[in-house]
Amino acid sequence: MKSNLYNSWRGKAAVSGELEGKPVKAVIGWKGIDIRSGELSVADVCRAYMQEVSELACGECSVGYNGTRLLAGLLDKLCQGQGNALEILHMKALVANVKYNSKCDFCALSVQPVLDALENLETEFTKVAAGQKPVKPGNYDIRTGAPCTMACPARQDVPGYIELIRNHRYEQALDIIKKNNCLPGITGRTCVAFCEQNCVRGEVDEPISIRALKRLPADCATAEPKKPAAGTGRKVAVIGAGPAGLACASSLSGKGYNVTVFDEQPSAGGMTFAGIPPYRLPREIIEADAAAIKASAGFKAGRRVSLAEVAKQGFEAVFIATGAHQSRPPGIDNWNEAYAGLMQGVKFLSRVNRGEKPEVGKSVIVVGGGNTAIDCARTAIRLGADEATIVYRRSRSEMPARYDEVAAAEAEGVKIIFLALPSRIVNEGNRVTGVECIRMELGEPDESGRRRPVPVKGSEFMIGADMVLPAIGEVPDISFINQADGIELTSWGSIKVDDSLATSRKGVFAGGDCTSGPASIVEAIAAGNRAAGSIDRFLGAQPDSSEPGAEIYRELVMDKTRCEPTSIRRRRVHPDEVPVEGRLAGMDEVEKVYTPAQATLEAERCLRCYRVVLTAL
Amino acid sequence: MVKIIIDDKTFEAPEGTTILQAARSVGINIPTLCFNEELTPAGACRVCVVEVLGPERAELASACNTPVYDGMVVATASPAAAAARRTSIEMLLAQSPHSRQISSLAASCAAEKQEFELEAKECILCQLCVRACREAIGVEAITLVTQGPGRREPAHVEVDWDKCIACASCAYICPTEAITAEDAGDVRTISITRYRNEFKMKACSACGALYAPEKQIQFMAEKSGLEMEKFELCMDCRP
Repeated sequence: MKSNLYNSWRGKAAVSGELEGKPVKAVIGWKGIDIRSGELSVADVCRAYMQEVSELACGECSVGYNGTRLLAGLLDKLCQGQGNALEILHMKALVANVKYNSKCDFCALSVQPVLDALENLETEFTKVAAGQKPVKPGNYDIRTGAPCTMACPARQDVPGYIELIRNHRYEQALDIIKKNNCLPGITGRTCVAFCEQNCVRGEVDEPISIRALKRLPADCATAEPKKPAAGTGRKVAVIGAGPAGLACASSLSGKGYNVTVFDEQPSAGGMTFAGIPPYRLPREIIEADAAAIKASAGFKAGRRVSLAEVAKQGFEAVFIATGAHQSRPPGIDNWNEAYAGLMQGVKFLSRVNRGEKPEVGKSVIVVGGGNTAIDCARTAIRLGADEATIVYRRSRSEMPARYDEVAAAEAEGVKIIFLALPSRIVNEGNRVTGVECIRMELGEPDESGRRRPVPVKGSEFMIGADMVLPAIGEVPDISFINQADGIELTSWGSIKVDDSLATSRKGVFAGGDCTSGPASIVEAIAAGNRAAGSIDRFLGAQPDSSEPGAEIYRELVMDKTRCEPTSIRRRRVHPDEVPVEGRLAGMDEVEKVYTPAQATLEAERCLRCYRVVLTAL
Repeated sequence: MVKIIIDDKTFEAPEGTTILQAARSVGINIPTLCFNEELTPAGACRVCVVEVLGPERAELASACNTPVYDGMVVATASPAAAAARRTSIEMLLAQSPHSRQISSLAASCAAEKQEFELEAKECILCQLCVRACREAIGVEAITLVTQGPGRREPAHVEVDWDKCIACASCAYICPTEAITAEDAGDVRTISITRYRNEFKMKACSACGALYAPEKQIQFMAEKSGLEMEKFELCMDCRP
């Protein structure tokens, strides 16, 4: 009975021996087929798998769509005892055709394990055709994921909305995006795009411009207004109207909760409002994204509240999402904010972004290598600085800022001094005249995996400057919490939470930058979504039993190696931009939205890497 | 310019040219079905499949939407390309057995009718109608609805009759019998797969001839910015 044990899986072992307590008898997916039990019908495993693949084939090319349907049909016929040997030959020819002549990767790679089985376990099929082996349908678990989706903290169905954008179905694309991302306009402009870092197309030429594609439906489509869920009437408070808070509020009000969002600032958006300048993210986009959430949740803004005060108002659960707005000390010897021209970068940005016009020096030094540093420099130039220079202690490849932001800054005339660290402010009275820096070199990697910068002795040098803006990171400001609140903190001053984002106090949850430290917008959105799920369960809801996700195969699905390399390259289509000379006079948005034709062209590059994994239990 | 070799012919083509354009520029014919010079290529029908022999690696590619690169060597009718093309056509033939265009394509490529168990529902999802309506007419009344996770309804074209101007371009360009347009009396009936709608024709105010659908005239008036009165007469009666 062990004669059919066979494993063609390419790369690491696919799936462990058990799934939900049951032994795994077979695995089939885009990288091969792994038959682990002699009692299985290989033909039926292939049939069930091809059935699923044929239902997920997009239909944009005849070979993939028809080929997978024909294969599923032939396998079904075979398993029902109506197949014949000729049709097995026929299947082999079809599989080869789908593998080599499909338009994208989905069908091409999906048929590979069936080809493996037909070639190496042929008797499994011929015996069925000859009526010598009865077919017993197995118990199958089928899950689908994609490398981009699995890289996204919010698990956006990237291939899904790209496909809909390609076909100009923007409303549907927006619906898919909004399923787990309530801020499409904001993320369509500013997301760090973990998906692009894990895009399989990047292995061929350049990743798909997923962020810019997302912006098109966000800008041009109106989402179907959500039908208000049957109100549970139960009250939940959200403290902080940044991405995490808004995501949690959006998700919970969608489930029928009566949500109130508190924020000390008059406008929603949190760090997206305070930290990101309008030339990257116009204020009306933040307002539009927030308005969709405010339509179904209460919003009490413009006053700082304490946890104790909120707790008194009869909320059954609280989500704390207050972000990380407090700048870290700049680590410069004689730093003194009383001097004119010395200001924390985030404070500078926040003042500008809230409409103030702080006085800007002629010669501005920004310290740091993240997006905040880049934004400080680009903002300073727009507000009249003659020159803006970024001083960063590591080299270009370690910069946490997005490479396209760095390129844009340099195009606008921002200079970057790498491997240098400001150590002392040079001043005349309370007026800044320059910064003393020390050269750095890269040593051994630190805990972040990046090489640690080490000062070079005796390498001090001077840069003239009349304004210095450190942007070396932020920490949570948790001063609204009292010891009496019973909220435990971590050793570095963030709010301590467990996996479900519950704090040490019953009914109080926390997430986003206030628990993780400064992270990305999409991570905050994911935290908000997650907290909403936890709060829902805390208040008695049953766990969501909808289609099982491919979460358990995350690592497997994220693997970017392609079985079939290609020599055919198609370069990225970039969205248009306002030319540099037109940008610097104001704060107008630099990047334009794709035209539908540009978006379709860019979306055509998507390889549609949905990965189907079927396990027989 | 990049240097390429197609069917043993060495020549230069501008960068960004597709294999199909390059081949046609030197008189090499590659059969196509879903390609139209006026429209963005879709790579949907897989009939224009050719074999890229190298120099990097051998693989099949659709000629209509694959850009050439320097040093590319292409065989338009290698055994692999010809076999793949034949299978593509045979599948299309099974889906649309009444299409004269596909039948003659089959004849020229030695493709035969196979016992494929595909539903013969005429529409082959070539998207010519979608692209013609969107790109040539500028109306976008027809869109392709694809299949995928959470979207399991079989792929099909969807029609928005509010947008349709009854110009019947889709019926002209459709290579099968999935789309038809028929004029009877003062009514034009457009059928697009399972969708069907009737449109009123406009009569010339001089001779009374029914010369175009009313909605098309309205569309032309809006696009051109001219007043409706300018469209009262048919082509024959216009001064």
